[in-house]
Amino acid sequence: MALRSIWNGTIAFAGVFVPVKVHSATENRTVHFHEVHQDDGARIEHKRICPKEDKEVPFKEIVKGYEVSEGKYVILEDDELKAAAGAASRLIELDEFVCAADVDPVMFDKTYYLGSQDTGKDAYRLLHDALEKTGRAGLGRWVFHNREYLVGVRAIGGVLGMHTMRFHDELVPAEDLEIPTPSRKPSERELDMAAKLLESLQAKFDPKAFEDTYRERLLKYIEAKAKGKTAELPKFTDADDPDDLMAALEASLAGKD
Amino acid sequence: MARALWTGSLSFGLVNVPVALLSAVRDVDLHFRQLHEKDKVPVETQRWCSQEGKEVPYEAITRSYELDGGKTVIVTDEDLEAVEPRKTRTIDIEQFVDVADVDPIYFDHPYWLVPAGDDEGARRAYRLLLGVMEQTDHAALGRFVMRAKEYLAIVRARDGALSLTTMRFHDEVRATKDVPNPAGKSTKPTKKELDSAVSLIEALGAEWKPDSYEDEYRKRMQKIVNKKRKRQTIEVPDDADSQPSPVPDLMAALQQSLRDAKKGAKSKAKASA
Repeated sequence: MALRSIWNGTIAFAGVFVPVKVHSATENRTVHFHEVHQDDGARIEHKRICPKEDKEVPFKEIVKGYEVSEGKYVILEDDELKAAAGAASRLIELDEFVCAADVDPVMFDKTYYLGSQDTGKDAYRLLHDALEKTGRAGLGRWVFHNREYLVGVRAIGGVLGMHTMRFHDELVPAEDLEIPTPSRKPSERELDMAAKLLESLQAKFDPKAFEDTYRERLLKYIEAKAKGKTAELPKFTDADDPDDLMAALEASLAGKD
Repeated sequence: MARALWTGSLSFGLVNVPVALLSAVRDVDLHFRQLHEKDKVPVETQRWCSQEGKEVPYEAITRSYELDGGKTVIVTDEDLEAVEPRKTRTIDIEQFVDVADVDPIYFDHPYWLVPAGDDEGARRAYRLLLGVMEQTDHAALGRFVMRAKEYLAIVRARDGALSLTTMRFHDEVRATKDVPNPAGKSTKPTKKELDSAVSLIEALGAEWKPDSYEDEYRKRMQKIVNKKRKRQTIEVPDDADSQPSPVPDLMAALQQSLRDAKKGAKSKAKASA
């Protein structure tokens, strides 16, 4: 099945041009609902109302305003909003290459796959192979839907992948957190025991080992309800929680043997 | 410090660490309101029944799910409660994995975990888990329930604190086999080509410093708002919508870039001398 592309353009690196198509690499599969009226089950519509006139406002009479002080707005026209995106360009220039493993995953926002086009296949393959070999990610800027993003391009699973990135000032630094120090640090023995416990729970990461059981339960319930039945869902039990750290560690390890 | 979005405890084995969850990202974007052009008043949203053509109070709204084939089922709050995974406020750690094995593509929304309450035991348990994860470079995988939805989460040590990131499930990440890409012999680069591309990438290599990248879009937007406020004109750039054509001779392009890179390095060295 061919993936729908959301953008067409060219990646440039070191004088080489790679024509690409951008595809979403992820899809949100959270169960979505429609808002409906309880009395008649009819769909709810959202209407824009001017509170001054108490009338519906057609879309063409709506402008965008930025609040500069209470109740005072600066109105921006569409082309002025567009100007912030910079010149619309079909080019993503990779001008720096960083070690992909050095970039903390919290910096990555959305992920896309880059598909090759009919031309420039050799260049696509060359960039992919070189990024895979070096373990590096190429950084550049991407203008998409009137907004400029910082992007990182790296090799993912045999294709080129592209992440939009968060900016440093969008992240809450650890210094801003209040993490009180305990008056007595964990002892060597506790650390050893915890390390053993961690080891006993160690596994190789396999994404398929985790299903969205909540989504499954919800869909099962909804399907049963559609047939006028009640779904039988498995019950959960709660565990006890002992207070003593050392006793808990010992008990956990004992339970493993 | 930011408001806690969730409180509960992180549990591994029989050890419980009382924690509070805080967002690790903040919204620094400029936000715009929709105004009615005529009177510059922010518009309000009203919910209307599409059948009766009148406003519906919030309490009279419920949700429906559309099955394949268009049939709809009403899903009430009670229905959702019945499905709610478990009432416990715990993040149950199921396993520990090597952080390097988890591709960033699985990472969704980042949060911080901090010890909850003034309890000395909570602080020690927090330090213990943090300490052991720092030592081993391992991350914990577990599930928890927030706002009536269950999440898979990865917990690891980052900058001296416990960081939690919600994760995408495997069926929310698309397979790469459907992405058009030139595999196979015909496109395989020659050793010389690959070596040149690798040297170029290394020549353009840089240390990752997140602070050195600014959100130019946000800065420009702030400037535009400031200018407009002072009634100055805003220059709208022309669309440079052309697309460069691929280079027919890869090797020639690479060699030219390599020469340029060497020249660049020399002139930089001269300038700093």
